[in-house]
Amino acid sequence: MSVSKFERLLRLASRTQEQELSCTECFDVLPQYVDLEVAGAAPERELPLFRQHLEQCAVCREEYETVRELARLEAEGRSPSIDDLRRSL
Amino acid sequence: MAVTASMQGTTMAQRTNVEWLTALGDGDDAALADLRTYVLRAALFTLQRARHHVGHLGTSALGQLAEDCAQESLAAILQRLGTFRGESQFTTWAYTFAVNMALLAARRERWASVSLDHILDGSETPSSTSGGHDATLDPERRALQAEAVAAIRDAIEHHLTARQKQLLRAVVFEQVPLDEVVRHWGSNRNALYKLLHDARRKLKSHLHARGFDVEEILDLFGARA
Repeated sequence: MSVSKFERLLRLASRTQEQELSCTECFDVLPQYVDLEVAGAAPERELPLFRQHLEQCAVCREEYETVRELARLEAEGRSPSIDDLRRSL
Repeated sequence: MAVTASMQGTTMAQRTNVEWLTALGDGDDAALADLRTYVLRAALFTLQRARHHVGHLGTSALGQLAEDCAQESLAAILQRLGTFRGESQFTTWAYTFAVNMALLAARRERWASVSLDHILDGSETPSSTSGGHDATLDPERRALQAEAVAAIRDAIEHHLTARQKQLLRAVVFEQVPLDEVVRHWGSNRNALYKLLHDARRKLKSHLHARGFDVEEILDLFGARA
């Protein structure tokens, strides 16, 4: 086994909490967290378990990062058009 | 509903959350068309961003995948309209569905040709670390490292269930997306996340019982978390 696999396991174990959000709970909180973040607030203070779940769950983390990017572009008035997105596929 | 936004060269109404809910609840065609545009954009954006999953697909296949995801998300959003609590913008809530659907589809495409059975039924467990083969280390540190590795192997081999070992191997070691194991086992994301959570807790607790703190082990190998 490579070093990275070993360390990955230990890092996940070290950040394990007794109580963690489920993926469904994470999905439900995600839009609120993203909106607060894009608005410049510090949602990790209000929703610390959300951030902890993202550290443990790669699929939820990928979803969060994508929604955050979309919301950020929208807030900045730089949303890509559907035509541009189609062309860039 | 006064300000307008342009997307795909068309003009769309900017709605408040209440306006979205009312219009969609009333089956307003313009609101439905606008929502479809939002979710299609989110699906296209997601697939464009997820090239590491879908790089092997052509433009036409990706476009069709985005359309399918948009359609599925639209149906899911309309079905769950009553659960929207207004704690975010309606459009951010809607994006979450489209991104979720598009990433599920992208991961499915990426892993379709991979044998998960082969990964799940492997037998690899931790055996080496960044400092494990360093001959310059003092004997005491080397002995501690060996003891820590043995404790981790023992925890995995003897204290986790067969299912937990398989899941750990696939998701943590081989980085298979949780969704793909969900699909393979016919389970759901919450159940498998809980299985992994329990495995991590057992591992941590077993190491603690053997006198190790996980942070200290990482320190021991020069890989502080």
